[in-house]
Amino acid sequence: MTDTTTTEPLGGQAKDLSGARDMIVCEGVSKWFGDFQALDGVTATIREQEVVVVLGPSGGGKSTWIRCINRLEQHQEGRIIVDGVELTNDLRNIEKVRSEVGMVFQMFNLFPHLRVIDNVSLAPIWVRKKPRSEAEEQAMALLERVGIPEQAQKYPGQLSGGQQQRVAIARALAMEPRIMLFDEPTSALDPEMIKEVLDVMKNLADSGMTMMVVTHEMGFAKEVADQIMFMEGGQIVETGTPEHFFSNPTEDRTKLFLSQIL
Amino acid sequence: MTIGDFAATANVPITAPPETPKLPPREWVKANLFSSWFNSTLTVVTAVLLLAIFRGLLGFLFNPERQWHATATNLRLLMTHGYPEEQYLRIWVCFAVILTLTGISMAVWRAGSAMPLTGLGRKLVATGSTFALLTVLAPFSTRATVIWLLITAAVAVGGETLRRFVDDERTMSTLAILTITLAGVVASLWVIPYGRHTYVMHRSPTTLHEPGTVALSTKFPWTIMLLVAVGAYFVGIFLRDRLPANPLRGTLVTLWLLAPPALVFLVVRDPDFDTGHVVGTDIPIFLAYAVLGGGLLLWLTRPSTGEIGRIVAAVVLLAGFATFLTPMRMIVRIDMLMLAAFALAAPTFAGGPQARKRYTASWLGVLGVTSWLITAVNTPMTVDVPRDFPLGGFSLTLMVAIFTIVFSFPLGVALALARTSTMPIFRLLATGFIEVVRGIPLVTVLFFFSVVVPLFLPDGMEITEISAVIVGYTLFSAAYLAENVRGGLQSVTRGQHEAAEAVGMTASQKTVFIVLPQALRVSIPPLVGHCIGVFKETSLMAIIGLFDILYIARNVIPNQFEYLGSTKENVIFVSLVYWIFAYQMSKASMRLERRTGLGER
Repeated sequence: MTDTTTTEPLGGQAKDLSGARDMIVCEGVSKWFGDFQALDGVTATIREQEVVVVLGPSGGGKSTWIRCINRLEQHQEGRIIVDGVELTNDLRNIEKVRSEVGMVFQMFNLFPHLRVIDNVSLAPIWVRKKPRSEAEEQAMALLERVGIPEQAQKYPGQLSGGQQQRVAIARALAMEPRIMLFDEPTSALDPEMIKEVLDVMKNLADSGMTMMVVTHEMGFAKEVADQIMFMEGGQIVETGTPEHFFSNPTEDRTKLFLSQIL
Repeated sequence: MTIGDFAATANVPITAPPETPKLPPREWVKANLFSSWFNSTLTVVTAVLLLAIFRGLLGFLFNPERQWHATATNLRLLMTHGYPEEQYLRIWVCFAVILTLTGISMAVWRAGSAMPLTGLGRKLVATGSTFALLTVLAPFSTRATVIWLLITAAVAVGGETLRRFVDDERTMSTLAILTITLAGVVASLWVIPYGRHTYVMHRSPTTLHEPGTVALSTKFPWTIMLLVAVGAYFVGIFLRDRLPANPLRGTLVTLWLLAPPALVFLVVRDPDFDTGHVVGTDIPIFLAYAVLGGGLLLWLTRPSTGEIGRIVAAVVLLAGFATFLTPMRMIVRIDMLMLAAFALAAPTFAGGPQARKRYTASWLGVLGVTSWLITAVNTPMTVDVPRDFPLGGFSLTLMVAIFTIVFSFPLGVALALARTSTMPIFRLLATGFIEVVRGIPLVTVLFFFSVVVPLFLPDGMEITEISAVIVGYTLFSAAYLAENVRGGLQSVTRGQHEAAEAVGMTASQKTVFIVLPQALRVSIPPLVGHCIGVFKETSLMAIIGLFDILYIARNVIPNQFEYLGSTKENVIFVSLVYWIFAYQMSKASMRLERRTGLGER
């Protein structure tokens, strides 16, 4: 199947992923910013319905890696295959992958000039070519799902950070993606708003979405992750289930990291 | 703190901040103007200086030597230059159409606000006392001083009455106040003996200046105009309450865009259509493009068409360029290029049957309007005017300004997008164009287009001087506008681009729906500044011999036998006209900024 060089995952807590197919396959992915090597031969496989949490110190390449997966950054070596489509310079492949992969950003990046409902329904109307009425119905359903249907007519600037991030999740879900990427979704939020966003993400994980989450929320990682990957210096240092990772890490750098944050 | 705690604190009744007490006038003056030694000296010196300046200014304006009759008699010359008197109804029709659109738009966009009557009273008191002071300063005759003092005192007393005896809560719409003021001005035309000024253009020019109220040909149309505007406002209210907002607003914007060319080329010029030519050539060309182009676009906007569609669109573009290699009617070439633009944009707007129909309908609309206008422009006019163009004076200034702004806007946005694009050829061309044009003075550009460009035109093709000016000025203005828009484009954050890309938008969708709306909103202040500049710099047209308002004021009226050397008066009047329009644009920009600031915190 794959030739992962890291330790084999020990299996999810509740889900049986043994027969699931590969959604994201990375083989020896490397990337440089000028002379600085941000990714150094990252090799990993993420299977359908799996929730992968990527941990690690700042500057370790977590965000760069997740942004390579929908080609917001270009990798320079190795291969990235998303749902069977390899990411190359071919624009059609990139657009295909992007419409299959939802992305949630640290700074929300909502469109400030559009109402919440238009933020959510814009891409389905123009990229998926849905009729407006259908797209708006779907947008309302999604806003209901993230718990803020009453904010539909407001502008993003009128919402709190947590509400904005939930709109951003709804916007990504509106494209009916098969994979969701979260790039530090709670890092820009006040403590009391983190919970409402994490709750939405938990529900999403329970519904069987394939997710890849870069975060510093250890509680979320323990509770929801099927697999935890620890990244430092552009490499995946250690991979494992939450029990293995938090109670019994093998690598020294992982132990050091855990001793500093726990 | 949990969410529950947060909600609990939010339920605490909010206490209003303590009101800052308003100082009575005497104490306000003390606190702000005479608070210290230094401040008092400054106040006194400034007041004396201001009084001296106003006294000098008023002394100049109302000096018996001033020839204000020169301006009053030549108002029509200043506004429309040589447009024939017997065809003047056309000008009024244009004006009425614009006022109708204005009235309806004001109702639909809910212009105006409620003003407390006490506030109105304060303003009247301020206006009345200011003008009373000015009257005292001005070197009027005793009789005139007494009359003016009586009027200003009446205004101030009226304002004070409103301020004291009317309930604080009572308000009045600012539109009603505006209408009443205008009605007063128009009524005064019928009552007050301003004097009757007529300038007879034909044969030996003579001017008439008789006592009495203004001529019927002035006061009657203005009365009608006021009624038209007020009537249009009520029509607008009627439409607003009964029709859905978005299509109504869209229709109005389209009508506003259509109004300038339609009015200039159809009403003011009165084209003399050659029916045989129209039926034999223009209509068949239109029908061919409507049917074939419409079918092509219906096919291109099908989501399943895919890559072949883009290739076909590129072929249409090449065909458009190829039409310039062989002799054929210009309209065929223009239509071909427009079709190519629509075809290239088609995949972006592809979608369900409704979207496809709407896209094809917009092609038919654009094609229809273009064909109609090209036909109208190419047809000789029936109105007999000097220098074979119907407009002159301020109407020429306005026309050149409006066309330049409207044309240079899309061109400037396109240049800005090209300059920031990742495609090297576009970037190079746009940068080169902008840098070259910005390095050349406007006068040179105007000379070049009025003198040099006609030499290069192929045999049989002519371009009127005005068209040459508009083309040159549009290119010049677009280069500056592009730089303003580029500033806005750069203010759109990387995150916005990434968010649009992450939901799978193509580059053009990202530009149209995400980047441009935000960039243009940021660029409103520099863009309006640019528009004001374009409007004022139209006065450079005089250098290549066009009769704009400033040229008439400086060179035409002062040469009339009766008004030799009346330059000062005319130029003061022209500056006032320019200022009124520029200030309105500036206020419109402030309103626009407030309105579009809606989404911001």
